[in-house]
Amino acid sequence: MGLPQLFRTTPFRLTLLFLALFGAAAAAFLAYIYLSTVGEVTQLADRGVAQEARGLEAIYRAGGDAALLRRFAESSANDRPFLYLLTDAAGHRLGGSLAAAPISDGRGSGPIWMHFTRSARVTPEAGGGRRWAIGQTVRLSGGETLMVATDVTYAETFVSRIVRAMWGAAALVVLLGLGGGLLVSRNVNRSVARLNAVVAGVRGGDLRARVPLQGGRDEFDELGAGLNDMLDRLERSIASIRHAGDAIAHDLRSPLTRLRTRLEIALLDVEAGKGDPKAALAQALDDADALLATFTTVLAIARLEAAGATPKSASFDPSQLAADIAELYEPACEEHGLDFKAELTPGLSVRGDREFLAQALANLLDNAVKYTPRGGAIMLRSRRRSSGEIEFSITDTGPGVCDQDRGRIVQRFVRLENSRNQPGAGLGLSLVAAVAHAHGGRLELDEGPGKVGEFGPGLRVALVLPRAA
Amino acid sequence: MRILIIEDDAEAGAAMVRGLGEAGHETVHAADGALGLEAALKGGFDVLVVDRMMPNMDGLAAVETLRREGDQTPVLFLSALGEIDDRVTGLKAGGDDYLVKPYAFAELIARVEALSRRRETGAVATTLRVGELEMDLIGRGVRRDGKPIDLQPREFQLLEFMMRHAGQSVTRTMLLEKVWNYHFDPQTNVIDVHVSRLRAKLDKGFNRPMLTTVRGAGYRLDG
Repeated sequence: MGLPQLFRTTPFRLTLLFLALFGAAAAAFLAYIYLSTVGEVTQLADRGVAQEARGLEAIYRAGGDAALLRRFAESSANDRPFLYLLTDAAGHRLGGSLAAAPISDGRGSGPIWMHFTRSARVTPEAGGGRRWAIGQTVRLSGGETLMVATDVTYAETFVSRIVRAMWGAAALVVLLGLGGGLLVSRNVNRSVARLNAVVAGVRGGDLRARVPLQGGRDEFDELGAGLNDMLDRLERSIASIRHAGDAIAHDLRSPLTRLRTRLEIALLDVEAGKGDPKAALAQALDDADALLATFTTVLAIARLEAAGATPKSASFDPSQLAADIAELYEPACEEHGLDFKAELTPGLSVRGDREFLAQALANLLDNAVKYTPRGGAIMLRSRRRSSGEIEFSITDTGPGVCDQDRGRIVQRFVRLENSRNQPGAGLGLSLVAAVAHAHGGRLELDEGPGKVGEFGPGLRVALVLPRAA
Repeated sequence: MRILIIEDDAEAGAAMVRGLGEAGHETVHAADGALGLEAALKGGFDVLVVDRMMPNMDGLAAVETLRREGDQTPVLFLSALGEIDDRVTGLKAGGDDYLVKPYAFAELIARVEALSRRRETGAVATTLRVGELEMDLIGRGVRRDGKPIDLQPREFQLLEFMMRHAGQSVTRTMLLEKVWNYHFDPQTNVIDVHVSRLRAKLDKGFNRPMLTTVRGAGYRLDG
């Protein structure tokens, strides 16, 4: 990635923003230091100067100019001497440590800020350089003007040193910040590029593209892991749809072949002048209807099985549903000579697709009615298990299904030997299982009430739905 | 009955024209949604049979427009989309019934005829009367020739539906949909058993059966 592109990245822009914020904060800090240092120094110096001036005034009143000049000489031996200048009424220098009247910088009223040049006589070591002082002028009663000042060059120096240091630091920060920003941008960009490469790959049709994870638990790894998980699911979903498509094609091929053969033979019969074409056509129509029913069911199963397909969900009372289905099937059971009972626990609640669950129960009852011999019994039950799961169960006293076949009969188009003479395509239980799975539940097949005389051992099929969240 | 068929598939359209024609109905076929809407707006039809998905203007849009124009002619939607949601969408758009393709002629004809009757029966009637059979919708009582007949709630609903469509064939699927509100086909003959129970109660002690089986179609209640 080129530098100009790097400048456009979000991390780099954030860096710039932070640098600007930091700069503003540094400027405010600087201003504060400056104001507080200089203010403090000015105040202290001013107070000192005022005190000294009052002292000198007293000395003057007592001993006149001569006393003052003596005092100047004495105090010049002090550690940090005041600066003095005494001028007569005409402005001529009478004495003092200042060479000439200082140049005021005109920083307003109050204490005078000034540059001054120290008289070489008093402090030869200081050279003739310009320095800063704070002072006052006092007009004495004899007409002379007394100027008292104190050297504050050290404070100014201190402040300017701080300012210089701060500028230096700021420059360093800007340099490091920009550099750091570029570095961060480059790193972030590299991580984003990894993600982008995967996105581009998928867009190009490669569903196997995955983000290489770095192992650090940073947000990019997290995002990458999320993306990978999403792609895994997508791939599974697509695979299952493809599988369903293949299955549908496969499932419909044989009945279609049968239908075609039947029509072909009917045609041959008609050409040969034997057989009734009406019967063959009626048969073909029945075949077509069965084929369509099969197709509808296979499609419903495929939709339910497709990963991510959740049936429409609403809360309802499962026992009410079971009661409705019981009401629908009770006369048919009686017609088939079967004793039908429903044991429904009231007050339950379950979330799910009512229509699909109704169809599942209907399929289970269809099977029970079909396979239970006359004189047998069917029991429909709805209850809450101690685990909180909701169970619909249908128990019959038919021949049952042996252990090794129980797993098999749930598969599509599997029909056991003894069901050959019964109508059906072998899709009923597959649909029930698909409905159960789509609801996050399961289908359980067990032995029924056992062998009693000519009946049994029976089959107990339970559709178990997870507890309502 | 005058029936407008709005169906873009020429073969399916022709088949419907033939099937409904043989059942004694006059039919007009429109080959797409826009043409169909135009014909429907001119009026004079007892029932519209509308394919849901068509070029130019799909069936849903055509019926929606028709309803906005205040036309209340009963509409039967035909569609390859058979999920519950699809049905709901169709009924919301202004359809009165919904039949999933492919369908048997008997089913189509029964549903079309059921729709035409629907407009004639007043919605506020408190008593239904078919021949010597009388149903009190408020008191939930049924009498045949003055003799009370004791019915279970579902049998009452079943009979009410049959009485509202007296003289017409009603199919098993129609009963399952309209009386039980299920949209799947049970393999067991559950509906037949319910109907024969009702018939037993209805015709017991009378010489003339009122509830008869129509071969290949379903049932019919006659006065």
